Amino acid sequence: MRWGMVVDLSKCVRCYACLAACRIEHFLPMGINWPRLVALETGGDSPTVSTYSVRCNQCKDAPCVEVCPTGATTRREDGVVTVDQDKCVGCRYCVVACPYQNRTFLSKDKDQGFFPGRVVTDFEKAGKKLYKHQIGTTEKCNFCAERIDAGLAKGLKPGIDREATPACVNTCPARALTFGDLDDPNSEVSRLIREKKGFQLHPEYNTDPSVYFIDGKIGQSDEPKVDDKADKEPEAIGVGE
Amino acid sequence: MGERKVIKTTCKGCHGGCGVLATVEDGVIVHIEGNPEAPTLGTMCSKGLSSIQHVNHPDRLLYPLKRTGERGEGKWQRISWDEALDTIEQKMKDSIAKHGPSSIAVSQGTGRGYNEYTHRFARSIGTANIITPGYICHSPRLGLYGLVTGYGRLYCDYHGWGGEYPKTQISWAKQLEISSADGEMAVWFLNSLKHVKNLIVVDPRETALSSRATLWLQIRPGTDAALALAMINVIISEGLIDKEFIEKWTYGFDKLAERVKEYTPEKAAEITWLKAEDIKKAARLFAIDTPGCIQIGSSLERQANCGQTLRAIICLLGVTGNIERPGSMISWVPPDTGQREDFFTEIPITDEMRKGIVGSDQYKMGAARTAHSDTVIKQLLNGNSVIKVWFSVGGQQILHLANTKEVMEALKNLEFLVHVDQFMGPMAEIADIVLPAAHWLEIDDIFDMHPRFMIEAHNRVVDPPGEAWQDSKIFNEVGKRLAPKYWFENVEKMLDYQLKKGNMTWKDFSKKVVHARMGKDQIYYKYKTDYWRKGGGFPTPTGKMELYSTVLENLGYDPLPHFQEPGESPVSTPELAKEYPLILTTGYRQPFYFLSQYRNIPWLRSFQKDPVMQIHPDTAKECGIEDGDWAWIESPRGKIKQKARLFPGILPGVVMATANCFYPESPGPLHGLLKSNPNVLTSNNHCDPMYGSPDLTCLLCKVYKAEDDKEE
Repeated sequence: MRWGMVVDLSKCVRCYACLAACRIEHFLPMGINWPRLVALETGGDSPTVSTYSVRCNQCKDAPCVEVCPTGATTRREDGVVTVDQDKCVGCRYCVVACPYQNRTFLSKDKDQGFFPGRVVTDFEKAGKKLYKHQIGTTEKCNFCAERIDAGLAKGLKPGIDREATPACVNTCPARALTFGDLDDPNSEVSRLIREKKGFQLHPEYNTDPSVYFIDGKIGQSDEPKVDDKADKEPEAIGVGE
Repeated sequence: MGERKVIKTTCKGCHGGCGVLATVEDGVIVHIEGNPEAPTLGTMCSKGLSSIQHVNHPDRLLYPLKRTGERGEGKWQRISWDEALDTIEQKMKDSIAKHGPSSIAVSQGTGRGYNEYTHRFARSIGTANIITPGYICHSPRLGLYGLVTGYGRLYCDYHGWGGEYPKTQISWAKQLEISSADGEMAVWFLNSLKHVKNLIVVDPRETALSSRATLWLQIRPGTDAALALAMINVIISEGLIDKEFIEKWTYGFDKLAERVKEYTPEKAAEITWLKAEDIKKAARLFAIDTPGCIQIGSSLERQANCGQTLRAIICLLGVTGNIERPGSMISWVPPDTGQREDFFTEIPITDEMRKGIVGSDQYKMGAARTAHSDTVIKQLLNGNSVIKVWFSVGGQQILHLANTKEVMEALKNLEFLVHVDQFMGPMAEIADIVLPAAHWLEIDDIFDMHPRFMIEAHNRVVDPPGEAWQDSKIFNEVGKRLAPKYWFENVEKMLDYQLKKGNMTWKDFSKKVVHARMGKDQIYYKYKTDYWRKGGGFPTPTGKMELYSTVLENLGYDPLPHFQEPGESPVSTPELAKEYPLILTTGYRQPFYFLSQYRNIPWLRSFQKDPVMQIHPDTAKECGIEDGDWAWIESPRGKIKQKARLFPGILPGVVMATANCFYPESPGPLHGLLKSNPNVLTSNNHCDPMYGSPDLTCLLCKVYKAEDDKEE
């Protein structure tokens, strides 16, 4: 069992819903984002606009785990890399060690509230009770491990059952995010990686990320088309791809 | 832990429509996510999700206010609802007695499920001077589609309910995926791309979809009619038309064929800056790989040639038979609760009301049942205004109308202005009375999606703050005072009334949340049945789909589509172009803002603090601008500052400015209205002959570096 995610670059439309869902799910302090969007805009003969929805890669060989002096950052058996806020001493070795810059040190200035100096909203007050953020420690995406664990306890399948699936995956209007078990060759994530030439970011770092990316043309999908079943219209001649 | 409950409701963060599950604990919203049982399958965007910060916002208006200082001075006094309503009633009654009911204008922001109330209220008190942004967003489509379908709505069939998905899709001046509107439609559109064979994107800018599309047409802004007419030219000359449909069901094909002869791909290529080969390819893809649909964006409706551009696109659908066929463009049948418009069309516009509509003598399509906004502004400036009292509910005309400085001057000349809003923005600041409005998480109401095949319930999740009221209640209470026979004891009775055709009460519907006609219940090929006309046909004077429009002919408009240069362009005003050499388009939208909303929501503002204008790196270099610089954008009307983003995916020579921006955090009364709002640059002098739509997305400008971001 190794939880993983596939991000489809041909589907992501840079809407920021994944960031918003994460903020709500984890009551994130105002200055913190676990996922981020990285824009790629190139010109030339084949210009491209792409958006990389990035988050902690939950690397198999995670440098952050190696450098953590207190054992706060560990890799679970299911591949999720977690931070124990009670053990973290805020040394920030991991922030430096992560080659993907997916860790954030929660300093006081990153937790000024939604409306600094004016009001602490009811939602923020509720958040303080419901989800722990410790100033002076390091944070990052945990693949919504709380949802995975609670879901599994109920017999649900992460990536298939919504209750056991990360919040960003659930909310994505473009359905650009897919979650599942990388060790299961029949899972949707494994199929996408296999069939759509999934790639990891910066494989030269040798960290073996659990987040993969795929890309492709629109209109040449190999998924079954309703059109194909219906009869009749003459096929295009001499046009199209 | 206290009481925890999950309430099913419907988002209205944009036009709305996404199903929502809101978790409330001890009266506080602690979680929001999409409702997986809703047609939107549990998805939600950043705007809807960030509503949590919106409802809790410390700047929410809580009580009715009346102005105590000069207009715009920012001096307010809290008053009771009774005093507010008494004053509004008296002012309206006085104005009606003195100048007639047409002296009252009722305005709204974008159509998002309260149009029924604005229109019903206006009509109930005897005025059809309703001011809406419709004429630059959606109304031209509705009116011109109405010449085909009667009802006036044609939507892309993204749903596959008829057994086919669109094989060729054209996304024309539209980013349905992010354009901050019709959230529920984005989900279906994106899903339909799994089934598409050809995707054609018409846009001066590269997008995520255009990067991966079959064909991307990087068009010069404002020249879309030439492209559509040339595509028809190719389709006819290469024999790719849908012969059977044309012969049996259309009127005026020969005249159209004659008209488009002049629009050869080569000529259109010159006009549009596209390659003739690409125009031919687009035409062939669309004509051969059918069914197909065209998703039109409102950028086309922010151009003074919009009527004929849309007519050309409709004719393109006609010659390819892409009407009412599964996978093409459909006029959806509403559920048994009927058309949402019934709630106001049951009060007809009388001849007297029609005569009183400002701009109706000139813009016969656009100002037939609503006023022409820019004429209202001109009259106010010229001292001959029909409008004396303006009742503004949501929306900020001061921001979205062309030529902001003129609009500001004009609004000062009103005798009385009421504005209903959630925050003290530039429109509220110049009002005489400001009323506090509720958020969608605080209301019980009926949501009507644009394609109209379903209605959904907004269920109250928390109470509004202070004394804020939902819009429907405000209209009902003012309505009861001025035209009691058209209004209701309370909001629930009014909602019951709107649902009565479906044999439902509000309470029934509130539990049901979604009431739809989907799947097998929809009716395709209505023209082949008695649906519109006994024996088949379209609801038009000739009974056919009119490629040659007899209706437009009778109104004195060109019955056949043609291309007209924008009012300002390198071609139409070459002298002006020497001083203002760049093409300005003001349609840039961010997926996390909705029109003028949400720049005060911290989560959303964090995604992009400053308004951004996109410019090609080569053009920027000529203008001495680097990425991240603040830049002046100047037109003959004025100048603004936006932050430059060098973007290789935009057509060189074109500047794309962020629309509708102001700075809620800046001091009133303007809140930075003049700093970055591109309507400071736009013109209200050159308008579409049918709809009165001004050129907002195709103008001329020059750009140069600004030293800083200070407001002048």
